[in-house]
Amino acid sequence: MSDVTVYTTPTCPWCTRLKNYLKEKGVDFNEVDVSTDYDSAMKMVELTGQRSVPVLTKGDQYVVGFNPDQIDRILQ
Amino acid sequence: MEVYDLVIIGAGPAGMTAGVFAIRKGLKTVIVSEDIGGQVNWTNDIENYMGFGEIDGQSLVRKFEEQVKEHRVMVKLTAVRSLKKEGELFFIRTESEETITGKTAIICSGKRPKTLNVPGEEEFRNKGVSYCSTCDGPLFRGVPVAVVGGGNSAVKSALDLAHYASEIHLFSLLSNLTADAILVERLQREGKIKTYLGHTVVEIKGGQAVEKVTVERVDTKERFEVPVQGVFVEIGLIPNTDFVDDTVERNELQEIMVDCLCRTNIPGLFAAGDVSSVPEKQIIIAAGEGAKAAIQAWEYLLKRSDASAQ
Repeated sequence: MSDVTVYTTPTCPWCTRLKNYLKEKGVDFNEVDVSTDYDSAMKMVELTGQRSVPVLTKGDQYVVGFNPDQIDRILQ
Repeated sequence: MEVYDLVIIGAGPAGMTAGVFAIRKGLKTVIVSEDIGGQVNWTNDIENYMGFGEIDGQSLVRKFEEQVKEHRVMVKLTAVRSLKKEGELFFIRTESEETITGKTAIICSGKRPKTLNVPGEEEFRNKGVSYCSTCDGPLFRGVPVAVVGGGNSAVKSALDLAHYASEIHLFSLLSNLTADAILVERLQREGKIKTYLGHTVVEIKGGQAVEKVTVERVDTKERFEVPVQGVFVEIGLIPNTDFVDDTVERNELQEIMVDCLCRTNIPGLFAAGDVSSVPEKQIIIAAGEGAKAAIQAWEYLLKRSDASAQ
């Protein structure tokens, strides 16, 4: 199982963008749809202190939003 | 020093189309952009881009991107900090501390959502304050939210949020909604949405996250508070021109002034798409303007080399 998790909502264009970016880079990830999984949604809000998707986590590091520079940094 | 014939700032429909046209004209070209696709990424259903019937924004961006890659246009993914003309050359400074030099430049940096500029907005950004209801709406299930604005985006946003939020307070500065009649009709049928005409949000308050908004009635200046956990700001768009100095002429909307050939007041500097003063902000218009700007840049270089040969 991958240590990269992506929190998304189905209607979020930036979430699609993030997932495509990871697929292009060949990065395996788990996806959590926070629109249907309320507990995970709250876990995400608690971890980041923010109510916004997409969120990418790896261990205790996270990136809110689609920011390729920051994403590349924590994926290294 | 590496000098490009053309530096394109922005990779939305205007920038990517300009890139393809410039390469086909044989110009040594680079696109510098914070992202690929710009505002099209935020659009769900596009039904008026010719040749595709119905397509979502992400898919259209991918198709544009594929075409840019096929033409081997160089793309540098970084934000632009400043653009300056010195002598005959343009110097573009990026966030990744690189200086890119070009004989011509096209600004296609698009627009971004306008902010309210009220206390609490920046502090609670992503902590309840959002500019994308289609993205963040599901995170506000069962809680009250505010939507600020009275146009199509605001009303669509309120209708979207009705699927999740317990109640929606829609605040419109004007005394009427400027959204399309069909949307206003839907809004009136939706019991969860309370509309406040002639009202504006003057402060966003909370602790760790948004807890309430202070609202002011425009005519009487009377203020009251409404408890909400989310504030969705949908008050229109502002051009991305922060990296351009005052020498570049802009209109009252801060759009870069262009003539019908996409020329700005600075020789060799062009602008295309939503960031420019061209009327009507549509994907198909932005793409067409991008094409036109690239051809104009090529003609500008041609005339300049003719002049120097004489």
